[in-house]
Amino acid sequence: MKLRRIVLVPLVILGWMAAATAQEPFYKSKTMRIVVGFSAGGGFDTYSRVLSRHMVRHIPGSPTIIIENMTGAGSLIAANHLYKVAKPDGLTVGHFIGGLFLGQVLGQKGIQFDARKFEYIGAPVRDHSVCALSKASGVTSLEHWLAAKTPLKMGGVAPGSSTPDNVTRVLRTALNLPIQVVTGYKGTADVRLAVDGGELAGGCWGWDSVSATWRKALSSGDVVVVLQAGRKPHPDLPNVPLAIKLAKSEDARQLIEVAIHDDAETLRTYTLPPGTPKDRVRILQKAFADTLKDPEFLAEAKKANLGVDPVSGEEIEKIIAGFFKLSPGFLAKLKEVLYG
Amino acid sequence: MFEIANAFVASFFQLFSGSVLLLMTVGIVSGFAVGILPGLGGPTTLALMLPFIFQMKPIEAFAFLLGMAAVTATTGDITSILFGIPGEPTTAATIVDGHPMAKKGEAGRALGAALMSSLVGAIFGAFALALSIPVVRPLVLAFGSPEFFMLALLGITFVAALSGEDPLKGLVSGALGLLLATVGLDPVSGIERYTLGQLFLWDGIGLVPVTIGLFAIPEIIDLAVEQTSIARQQVGKIGGVMEGVKDTFRHWGLVMRCSAIGTYAGIIPGMGGAVSQWLAYAHAQQTAKNPEQFGKGAVEGVLGPGAANNSTLGGAMIPTTVFGVPGSVMTAILLGAFIIHGIVPGPDMLIPEARGGHLLLTFSFVWVIVLSNILTVGICLLFLQPLIKLTQIRAGLLMPFILLLIYLGAYAEKNTFEDLLIVLAIGLLGWLMVIFDWQRPPLLLGLVLGPLAENRLFISMDNFGLAWMWRPGVLLIFAVILFGLFYPRIKKRRERKKKAVSVSVEQSLTEKPETAAPAPAAPLRLKFGRAALFTLSIVLLTAWALWEGRNFDFHSGLFPWTIGISLFVLATIQLGVDLLGKKLGTGAAGSAQTRSEVPKRVARLRTARICAWNFGYCLAVWLFGFSLAIPLITFLYLKAEAREKWWMSIVLTFAAWAFFYALFDRFLHVPFPTGKLFS
Repeated sequence: MKLRRIVLVPLVILGWMAAATAQEPFYKSKTMRIVVGFSAGGGFDTYSRVLSRHMVRHIPGSPTIIIENMTGAGSLIAANHLYKVAKPDGLTVGHFIGGLFLGQVLGQKGIQFDARKFEYIGAPVRDHSVCALSKASGVTSLEHWLAAKTPLKMGGVAPGSSTPDNVTRVLRTALNLPIQVVTGYKGTADVRLAVDGGELAGGCWGWDSVSATWRKALSSGDVVVVLQAGRKPHPDLPNVPLAIKLAKSEDARQLIEVAIHDDAETLRTYTLPPGTPKDRVRILQKAFADTLKDPEFLAEAKKANLGVDPVSGEEIEKIIAGFFKLSPGFLAKLKEVLYG
Repeated sequence: MFEIANAFVASFFQLFSGSVLLLMTVGIVSGFAVGILPGLGGPTTLALMLPFIFQMKPIEAFAFLLGMAAVTATTGDITSILFGIPGEPTTAATIVDGHPMAKKGEAGRALGAALMSSLVGAIFGAFALALSIPVVRPLVLAFGSPEFFMLALLGITFVAALSGEDPLKGLVSGALGLLLATVGLDPVSGIERYTLGQLFLWDGIGLVPVTIGLFAIPEIIDLAVEQTSIARQQVGKIGGVMEGVKDTFRHWGLVMRCSAIGTYAGIIPGMGGAVSQWLAYAHAQQTAKNPEQFGKGAVEGVLGPGAANNSTLGGAMIPTTVFGVPGSVMTAILLGAFIIHGIVPGPDMLIPEARGGHLLLTFSFVWVIVLSNILTVGICLLFLQPLIKLTQIRAGLLMPFILLLIYLGAYAEKNTFEDLLIVLAIGLLGWLMVIFDWQRPPLLLGLVLGPLAENRLFISMDNFGLAWMWRPGVLLIFAVILFGLFYPRIKKRRERKKKAVSVSVEQSLTEKPETAAPAPAAPLRLKFGRAALFTLSIVLLTAWALWEGRNFDFHSGLFPWTIGISLFVLATIQLGVDLLGKKLGTGAAGSAQTRSEVPKRVARLRTARICAWNFGYCLAVWLFGFSLAIPLITFLYLKAEAREKWWMSIVLTFAAWAFFYALFDRFLHVPFPTGKLFS
């Protein structure tokens, strides 16, 4: 590392001197910061660190990008910071949990931003939730599950958390699945251990994580994926029933659309402070999209088991605008489902 | 069996191929620095290094990361002993006796003991990892949430042992820790508890600022009052270090038992080094022949936690490798490294390479832990002499650097300014606790175990109703708890009886009326002193917490209510004791602090000044931001308070600023807030 630094520093200085005369791009010799709302080493952090290393090449002027971890209140502190404190100069990017956008509409406490005023760069991936059950639970297909006499115990981490809690609760209501959510586990790894130990029947969260960490049990049949929740079936799971197709009523469909699909697409959004100059927003949106197609990035992402399934900034803006058009009646119902 | 043994040996030689050893050394050196600096923990560094492992082979990557992780607990002990500031959250227990030893001029012996016991603990943990690999899966799966809850409860009962000679104060302190642990969002219902409308309190009160406040602040006040060097007495010759090394072998049984405690706590997700150090300390105190020496520089108090916080890593690697369930924050990040290399933790890790598993890699973890610890202790022993010299530097020169470490360390864990305020508040509490002779360790133990207990209790209830209580594992641990609570008492009574028989003849001759009941006519005199005032404020705080919590629902209220009511009752009894001017327990618990020769008036003035500097530091950081506040305060302190020469002040100020700027700003990119004046 040190070596890299010794080589890099003179290079940067040289480059700076050479470019001083020419008409230079805005990002030339600038330092960009990505403010990540979670601690170093977690999923949000890992995405940002891998992404930033490759995105540098796609921004005209190749700025230095550094990652700053601003933790607290489930990344709400970082979100508020981006809205209220960060300068809208295109040099500060925020990465906090997208569930907060829906949280604003639902009147979540502590939110000091207006999601409609942010600028959105995009998201590298849309979560694809699946429900996995252990063979030991006695239920290995959706039909069995729907017919189960006693509710299956499914693990959660905290009320209001996109996965596993919200997904599980929404599916319970929308599909009339017999489920008892047991929440408070430290993370999905702890949920997994509880399933392996027989305390829980299973859990519902992202396929990327389930497939990586439960690979052995999945291939041996000790754990079975019985349900998936995405707009389309996941290429890995062509035969697993899709939640939205099973929804019987319009209400149920809307619940799944808003609280699972929309939320999954905005979950890992990269955001800019309100009032960031539009030309810089465009530059970053394009660079972001290009990075997500870059073979070098894709190779590394694959290695780190980071799924890539880009959502554009415009799509995200549209989804968030949609949140604000939801009827009060629906919102009340959603609140009841998620927190009741 | 032969296959496994073969893999075990082969994995050792793997470390000497290619650049494995080199990368391990790089890891060790980084871990070394990080361990010494408070607040900058192993987890942060591991996460920062994660991107570099993409280009490495799996064995290289783990040698690099694990080497780094393995040494932080050892070098963290060094800071704890020398300055009384925890170098890592897992090395706070080393302060309690290690720092008093440094003050007595025995820094060398304390460091020797800490290093050697760390090495023994690490090796113990590593071999526990190796041995447990074939059998661990069913053992861990037998543990569900109810058993985790019981283990947390078992940990909490150690509060009693940590309370020393004044059990009532110890219980109040432990309950206070449990109550502090309820601050934040309730994990089950998401309701805010005692957050005072502050977002930064949603995640609860951090362990790092509490540990720093509780231990480091009283130390610097003491240092400022005495105005000597850290070592009050003449520092012994180099022989001290060897003495400490020998101590490890003198107390071999203790070191081994504490290593076992550390390993076991490491296996249990959520416990880890922050808990195991205190369990080990409590155990050391309970089994020592001289428990009254604890807190004043007993070497056993260094050996126990020294061994335990190192053996934890080996233990925490067990569930990480076998289940992919990390036992600690550090192993959680290591889990990321597994995934980057396409290795899925689980049964595969226990199958030899020939059949598509990763047994060789798993065993290499063991050797990396062993080897990196041997290297670290070797390096430390080489540099020990200059480190010990630090304790002889005069307070005035050292103080600005200690202040820097305290506030930078408090900030760097979560990158929030508010944590500095927590250091001040808890620092005040810690200082008062020292003055009025309250035990601080139970508070920390309560703070760490509280959330674990609460969480697992509700998960157990949700999963099993009340039936969780009849699980065999639960009953077994319950029996262990009862045994732990009553055995020392039974033992004491038996010993007393034995003694009573042997001295009864003598006693019958010399018995004096003092054992008789006090004269009934003695008037009850109430003494409302400063000690009573302190206890009263705890009572009032608890009353406020109960009032504030009146609207909690059952889920979020059960813990705060139970703890709050018990704390209220206990603290009120203590208040009564204070008012009557009596002391409970066996004897007069002498102050842990060595008697000061500084006149009272001077001491009071110096205390006021150092408190002002502490507040000033936080204020300056708030107003100007770290990058300006650090050189400003450092220079002002050196010139105005310590009255150092111009050149000395300038050089040292520059050194402090360069350290801050190069490491935290340029290299680690810690997001420092801009001062209020500039934003």
